[in-house]
Amino acid sequence: MTRAPATSVPLATLRLLLGAYLAGTLLNLHHAALWVVPVAAIAAAWRWRAARSGGRQLPGRAARSAILVALTLAVLATFRTLNGLAAGATLLVAMGALKLLEATRPRDFAFVAGSTLFLLLAACLDAQALWRLPLYAAQLCLCCAALLALARAPEPLAPRPALREAARLLLLATPLALLLFLFFPRLPGSFWALPDDGDAVTGLSNELEPGAIAELSQLDDPAMRVRFAGPAPPRNERYWRGPVLHDFDGSAWRARPQPYAQGPALSYSGTRYAYSVELEPGSLELLPALEMPEGPPPPEALLTSDYQLALPRPPRHVLNYRLAARTQYRSDAPLPALARRMDLALPRGRNPRSVALGQALRAAAGDERAFIAAVLARFRDGGYAYTLAPQRLGGQPVDEFLFDTRAGFCGHYASAFALLMRAGGVPAHVVAGYQGGEWNPLGGYYLVRQSHAHAWTEVWLDGQGWRRVDPTAMVAPARLEGESVELLPGAARSGTRLLHDLPWIGTLVQGWDALNAWWLRDVVGFDFARQLDLFGALGFAPDAWRTLAGVLAAGGIAWALLIAWQARHRARPPPPDPLARAWSALGARLARVGLRRRATEGPLDYAERVAAARPDLAADVRRLARTYATLRFGAATGAAAIAALHRAVRALRVRRR
Amino acid sequence: MPLALVRRRLYVLPTRAGLAFAALLFIMLVAGLNYTNSLALLLTFLLAGVALVALYECHRGLHGLRIVAAEASDAFEGTRGELRLGVENTATLPRQGLRLRAALEPAGAAAAGAAAARNDIAPRSSGSLHCAWVAGRRGRQPIEALSLSTTLPLGLFRCWTWLHLPIEAIVYPAPIGPLPLPAPGARRQAAGARATEGEEEWSALRPYQSGDSPRAVAWKAWARGAPLLVARYEALGGGEHRFDLEHTPGAGLEARLRQLAAWIVAAEERGERYGLRIGHTELAPALGAVHRQLCLRALALHPA
Repeated sequence: MTRAPATSVPLATLRLLLGAYLAGTLLNLHHAALWVVPVAAIAAAWRWRAARSGGRQLPGRAARSAILVALTLAVLATFRTLNGLAAGATLLVAMGALKLLEATRPRDFAFVAGSTLFLLLAACLDAQALWRLPLYAAQLCLCCAALLALARAPEPLAPRPALREAARLLLLATPLALLLFLFFPRLPGSFWALPDDGDAVTGLSNELEPGAIAELSQLDDPAMRVRFAGPAPPRNERYWRGPVLHDFDGSAWRARPQPYAQGPALSYSGTRYAYSVELEPGSLELLPALEMPEGPPPPEALLTSDYQLALPRPPRHVLNYRLAARTQYRSDAPLPALARRMDLALPRGRNPRSVALGQALRAAAGDERAFIAAVLARFRDGGYAYTLAPQRLGGQPVDEFLFDTRAGFCGHYASAFALLMRAGGVPAHVVAGYQGGEWNPLGGYYLVRQSHAHAWTEVWLDGQGWRRVDPTAMVAPARLEGESVELLPGAARSGTRLLHDLPWIGTLVQGWDALNAWWLRDVVGFDFARQLDLFGALGFAPDAWRTLAGVLAAGGIAWALLIAWQARHRARPPPPDPLARAWSALGARLARVGLRRRATEGPLDYAERVAAARPDLAADVRRLARTYATLRFGAATGAAAIAALHRAVRALRVRRR
Repeated sequence: MPLALVRRRLYVLPTRAGLAFAALLFIMLVAGLNYTNSLALLLTFLLAGVALVALYECHRGLHGLRIVAAEASDAFEGTRGELRLGVENTATLPRQGLRLRAALEPAGAAAAGAAAARNDIAPRSSGSLHCAWVAGRRGRQPIEALSLSTTLPLGLFRCWTWLHLPIEAIVYPAPIGPLPLPAPGARRQAAGARATEGEEEWSALRPYQSGDSPRAVAWKAWARGAPLLVARYEALGGGEHRFDLEHTPGAGLEARLRQLAAWIVAAEERGERYGLRIGHTELAPALGAVHRQLCLRALALHPA
């Protein structure tokens, strides 16, 4: 153990620095290990007490080395790596703690300030929610205040003026930051591959099992936001196709990546809906698209044979894409044999009663359309109910659902319907996705939440192609009319119910979501592509780097002038008071006839000099000078008297001779 | 003089902290671009903006400052003198963290003295800046160059200017001599005369003046609450010293000048009147800071 040398940084400065360090630690809590909180707190408290007492002991070199090894091992034990944001942030806190315990010179403390800035960076890289923005801004201000105070060490700078000065600097820096934000060239990709943090993200998945969608429907998290360029399709046509599920094992449906080479060609008719989507990060490796996408897929996606837009990996950040769709489509081509076989397959020995029912209904119906209508009629009239809290099903889930419980939600109905279709020889598969979306009038977009998750089926009719059939609509048409809230068993507890009772809260929530949408789309989502859009809107070619450099230079110069101007503005002497203005007005009038007041001349002396030179003005100038002297130096004063002096000065006629 | 610091006299370069900050910004930029993370980029650009504002304000910290006076105090050979610069701030912004440094000052000394030498000048006011200068050989010593600098507000940049002011400092011979102070009254007597301590008594107390020796201060009176008073010692018999360069022993002119300087310092401290004859200059016996300065300057400026 060594005695702490007299610290070169005053206590006020140290307080700011420790505050910034602890705040930086807290901002990273959502991904860093929780044990950094006590580590940071102990280090800060230790340092603080050492500085206050001036002689308390700090750990010696050996102890510090031991702490370094222990903390590094702790990070390794927690994350199995030192790489990645979470491990990096944890390591930064640990290194900051260590540096605090050995810091003596201002330079050491500046290192801690630097690591605090990196902690802020780590937090920004990992979490960009709008509500964090004020926290980040406050932390940035605190960091700058600590830097300002450190620059003054060993002289102290009290926290309050330091924070005020930091806020002033940041405010001045903002225009330049915005300019660079818009015009600094972005990259289309990354310099190097980023480690996958592997966080579980809730949302649709490539597998449908009864229960899964019921869980989702409790989630109010936004899934995506959609803006239509023109009119939006009616609610009952807003089917956002997610994964297409072909493989059925008797209870669960699973997707296949690119099941066959090319889907049958589609011919479209009806209204064309062009729209743009902001997709929240999720676990799906595809872009949910309005049925049916038309035109080329976005550059980052690949159109599959299921008319899905596949991504190479699940979106890590908010993804923006534009698409067009038409809800009327058909295909005259035959279904490829492979696809037909895949969408007719049924697991042997599972759900035998359902398979028999399907075969019976098909035999009774004249054609495929009549068969579909018969199955739907059974759902409508067979005593089926819609519930999000169905009973647990056993080994033959579809049989139990169709014949015993007769209560379920979209997943059950889609699953049972597809099975009956396949049993009756009609190719069918289940589609998971979203249905509907809430209109947000403030943001001008439809918000699709995870609770809008839905499952339906598509059946193949020769000569028409894939037809969407939503069996849930037979049981719970309200589900498609936007009243699903009423059907949610847990809704009374959730805030959603409240929204329907108190419209102003609903408006508030919508406003907040609109603000979030703007934030995610235009700020967080401002990337290479959007920058190109901006350049295009401003009318210069994206590769015109000379133009871009010119814009940056011009903006930078404008900003520099702004900084200089405000400094001058601050530096300007206070404006003269009305009395002084009246007096200098008199001086200006007399200066025109060569009787400028000298800087050292008092009012009465000046009046006498004027009187000697211009006897015609003597009486007036003497009176004015006396009035001024009385107002300026005497006891009496008043706005009215000053105004009168002003008028008298203006009334004075000074003629040249 | 007065001299205003204009733009082309001011230089700005990043400090080491500034270079480190630039590296930090670069890493942040690369991270932000790589993660295509707008928030990280915004943070980076904000910090870059703050650094540029700091650059501008660092420059503004000196720009337009007026130097209205400069003087250097006299010093003995090998000691440090003080340099005072009178500055005037006509702006309504404070001038912060001004640091004055003499170019001749060795680097180590600069670091030691640096901490104390920072100064702020309030808006629309004037003040003085101080720094130390190291006295070389006896004689007139021009202060070659002064650097006036500031690193505030953020310590990322250092703005400085070189001042070439017509300042000359006078360096006294070092007050070192092998011989003790001769007895007063030993008029024109060579060294080797008996060196009596001289019985002294308090003759009077007078108020302290700048330049008085701390040894002559009546500390006991001060401790009782009296103002700083200086005891005037007068040797019994009212004898005087008559120092004469010609009659001062020593190996070489410089050694004799040093001996004389030592005697003058000692005589002044004891409060014994002394006079000096050196070359054609003759200073009648007297006491006091001004007299001491005149005598020492005569020694300093005596042609080699």
